[in-house]
Amino acid sequence: MKLLLPDILLVLLAALIMGYDLYKGKVNLTSTVPFHFAWLGLCAIFVVLLRLPYDQTALYPGGYLVTGTSLLFKQVFVLSALFTVLLSGSYFTPGGNKRGTLRHRSEFLTIILLCTFGMFTVVSATDLLTLFIGIELSAIPLYILSGFYKEDALSLEASTKYMMMGAISTGLMLFGLSFLYGAAGSVTFEALAKFCTANPDEPLLRLGVLFVLAAIGFKLTVFPFHMWAPDVYDGAPTPVTAFISVSSKAVAVAFLLALLYGPLAALHSQLQPVILILAAATMTVGNLGALKQERLRRFMAYSSIAQAGYIIMALAGDAGLGRSSVIFYLFVYAAANYAIFFILAAIGRDGDEQRSGLQGLGKNNPVLAAVLMLTAFSLAGIPPLAGFMGKFFLFAAAAKQGYYAMVVFAALNSTISLYYYLLLVKEAYIIEPQVARKPLMLDGVQFISLFLLTAAMLIAGILPSISDNIMAVAG
Amino acid sequence: MADFILFNSYLILLFPLFSFAIIGLGHINSDNKFVAKFAIAMSSLSLGYALLTTLAYLSQPKHTLLAYDAAWLNFAPGLTANLGMYLDPISVMMLVVVTVISLLVNIYSVGYMKGDRSFNRFFALLALFSFSMLGLVTSGNILQMFVFWELVGVSSYSLIGFWYEKPSAVAASKKAFIVTRFADAFFLLGILLVSFYSQTFSFQELNSPSTALLLKDAGVLTLGTLLIFAGGWGKSAMFPLHVWLPDAMEGPTPVSSIIHSATMVVAGVYLTARMFPLFAASETTLFVIQCIGAFTALFAAVIAITQMDIKRILAFSTLSQLGYMIFSLGAAKVCADGGGHHGADVNPLGFSAAMYHVFTHAFFKCMLFLGAGAVIHAVHSNDILKMGGLKQLMPKTYWSLLAACLAIAGVFPLSGFWSKDAILLAALQSGHTVTFLVGLITGGLTAFYMFRFFFLIFHGEARSHLHHVHEDPWMTWPIVALTVPTIFAGLLEHSFVAQVLPPHLGETGHFAHPAWLPWLATLVAMTGIGCAWLLYGEGKTEKAAALQKAFGPVHTVVQNKFYVDEVYLFITHKIIFNCVAAPIKWFDRNVVDGTMNLCGWLLQVGGKGVRLVQNGELHLYLGATVVGLIVLLFLGK
Repeated sequence: MKLLLPDILLVLLAALIMGYDLYKGKVNLTSTVPFHFAWLGLCAIFVVLLRLPYDQTALYPGGYLVTGTSLLFKQVFVLSALFTVLLSGSYFTPGGNKRGTLRHRSEFLTIILLCTFGMFTVVSATDLLTLFIGIELSAIPLYILSGFYKEDALSLEASTKYMMMGAISTGLMLFGLSFLYGAAGSVTFEALAKFCTANPDEPLLRLGVLFVLAAIGFKLTVFPFHMWAPDVYDGAPTPVTAFISVSSKAVAVAFLLALLYGPLAALHSQLQPVILILAAATMTVGNLGALKQERLRRFMAYSSIAQAGYIIMALAGDAGLGRSSVIFYLFVYAAANYAIFFILAAIGRDGDEQRSGLQGLGKNNPVLAAVLMLTAFSLAGIPPLAGFMGKFFLFAAAAKQGYYAMVVFAALNSTISLYYYLLLVKEAYIIEPQVARKPLMLDGVQFISLFLLTAAMLIAGILPSISDNIMAVAG
Repeated sequence: MADFILFNSYLILLFPLFSFAIIGLGHINSDNKFVAKFAIAMSSLSLGYALLTTLAYLSQPKHTLLAYDAAWLNFAPGLTANLGMYLDPISVMMLVVVTVISLLVNIYSVGYMKGDRSFNRFFALLALFSFSMLGLVTSGNILQMFVFWELVGVSSYSLIGFWYEKPSAVAASKKAFIVTRFADAFFLLGILLVSFYSQTFSFQELNSPSTALLLKDAGVLTLGTLLIFAGGWGKSAMFPLHVWLPDAMEGPTPVSSIIHSATMVVAGVYLTARMFPLFAASETTLFVIQCIGAFTALFAAVIAITQMDIKRILAFSTLSQLGYMIFSLGAAKVCADGGGHHGADVNPLGFSAAMYHVFTHAFFKCMLFLGAGAVIHAVHSNDILKMGGLKQLMPKTYWSLLAACLAIAGVFPLSGFWSKDAILLAALQSGHTVTFLVGLITGGLTAFYMFRFFFLIFHGEARSHLHHVHEDPWMTWPIVALTVPTIFAGLLEHSFVAQVLPPHLGETGHFAHPAWLPWLATLVAMTGIGCAWLLYGEGKTEKAAALQKAFGPVHTVVQNKFYVDEVYLFITHKIIFNCVAAPIKWFDRNVVDGTMNLCGWLLQVGGKGVRLVQNGELHLYLGATVVGLIVLLFLGK
């Protein structure tokens, strides 16, 4: 049962927080106890995850499989949930955010935890049904979370749009999965894999895969299924946006990895051109869209669309490098994204979360400005930061398959992205503030989180041991 | 315990890096006193750990070890760049030298930079400089070394141009950066060439005899090693790339001190020593190294005689001493016709003597610069004609600098005597008589110009009006502290000669040890000092002026540094700027910029398009999904 411990603890933690809310919640609406439960619990789960053996696999009843790769994904999910919880701190504190104070903290935390459990299910699935249930478990809570500003029209609009688009994509996915089932006659990965190897040219299979690709493209914000992203990222509360941009993307990647390098491995070589076209289109659209965004959450939406493009490009790589490079990149991407969102939270305390909120940062708060600069550089992929190593591996995965033109195209795209990431730095260091603003300040939680994230970006960029470990497990 | 200390030896680098990050990011506007204390504390910790590492290194039997090693960049299967801590006699020696000098310069700077409005920035950059140099000397592979090599370049650039309000400082920093970068381009080419054929970056493998054989068979040994040496050529300011070093004194004096003693210029010598076994495989390479070194030694010493600027004299003296180190490495190759029958083709003394001179020179040259800084601080001028008579006013500086001048002149029993003697002996043993004579004569010139410098500053009457000259304790004590190694480093001669040896040394053979050499060297040095005493001993310039008149045009040519700078200016401004740069500029302005602007415009239009489609209407999004699905199905067919 050892390998199942994180999953069990996660459910227990969710139940604990929900139980606390039922028992005490109505008495003390502003209590911070659930918050402390949540982050402490997630830290504990992370520690447990780190101490598990990564070279063992265990199959539990009901087709629940734990492997080294799935544990790595669980690390990403737990860290992401942890930083979302930490990020949400100031949004639940009265006066912590200009847009308004979120309420029902225990519900928020419970939903985050249960959503994360859905993601755990995706990486542990061994049949299509569990896979589908997992992805839905991780999707539906996000629709609720996006509308968590219950009086804010923008937030409700985001929630509605997200749900509508999500419904379509769920439909497509079920459609696709049913084709796969129809072709193979079974929902287990084992049977599907056997069928794929025997009949790789079966048209039903291809049809099913393409439907699934379109459906997961929604979650992964692949062009042209990405269009919800800017509106939802902008409308949802910032911690939710951060969670969507990291966890939801990570689970979609996990889903694709599970299929492409699992039961559908025999189709992988046929799918590579499609994957590359989607990757190229996605990174271009994301980068073009981000060029002139003033609103930072929208900006992050486009930025993460572009990042999704780089990630799927690596899925054209072989199993070992494709898997390990993508997982490493998810860590790197999560660190940089959360760092940006923590800075957003600092801007949002007294102003709109807009780029102009960064003005004068270089003078008022040089440490925060330096963190912003490092983060922007990491997102743009400049050495020696983690983002550089991450992109290096992604590009290497595609290059190893001989897709040099694609790598060049991605590198050019990366240059475009440097432009708008540098705009952030320019705003913080060069542009003089037009109006007097309060200097940006961090509270204790934000300070420690940013410290950890920055350290991670630096260490993962300089020290090779982290990427080496991931290669060893997933490669 | 020793293993633990060695494994964590990267801490030596991390302390200054930490100091740079903390001061540079968090405390650029903080209280000066705090910053000074913090910088000194970090520097002391770094020194402390360097000493611990030295002890741990000496307590274990291995000659070379990689204390820490991890794969860093995996370029291609079989070609991986690692990150490592490479410990061998020369890197351990450099760790001690760099950390000692860095600590003393930090302490000294508290006094020297007092009241400067960029006090904190100075300490941050100084820490970065130490970090870069420490990283350079402990690099386990040539690529890692190149990274730190460039970091040294960048940090020296920002320190030389520290007072960037002064146009001359900006010009000097640009000059230093451009000249060294010019040389580094060849270095990088060399790295590419050598690693392409040898499939490795690691020093251990590059220096192995099999790599030398491999490169020789491919016919790139000489070219590759010369290209790599070109990097050291620029950094160590060998003729004709020496032009940046005299100008680099535009930085604050503590910077000159650290550049000239422990960091930057020594990097070139260090690189040559690091790659010595590979260089030694090519006769041509070592011959070039030897000629360049010997020529620079003499050339710079001649110029130093005529200079009037206190720091310029020292700058040319550094050039000359670097020439010694470089030619000593080159002279380690035993001359084929002269003394070729010793049973070996490499004389290890050339290598150890060069490293020994790096060691002794670091201390006395650092002290000379710090002393010069103290004098400048007191007199507010760089011109030695405006000084004089400072003996009574600055007694501690006087006696300390006397020791340093005696050491650099090579007077028994101070440190410089031993290392210079070892270099001359190495040249003589290997049969390079011309180089030996050049070294001997340069020794005499060195003694002369150093004592000209010394007498004009301290002896006789003050030649300008001095008011309230005093010795700042922050500045004086580091100077006094440096007298200890300046005087006593000679005691280490035996261990250097016995232990600091290049790896993969075959037969060492037996070399003669003429007993007359120390006497001759001392005689030459004494003659130099004697001449200086006759001309300047009373702190007067009349006799020298008469002599100067007699030489007339020769003196003018020498005083203008043989017009090398003017030649450079002519080549760059007249030829390169007009014939090459102008057409390229036109091309860049019109064709390249035009294309780039077109790209930018296209991208902006594309961005506008993306944002236009994103109009917030849900039915459009749903429609896009459906169309996307259809296209996808079509694509995947």
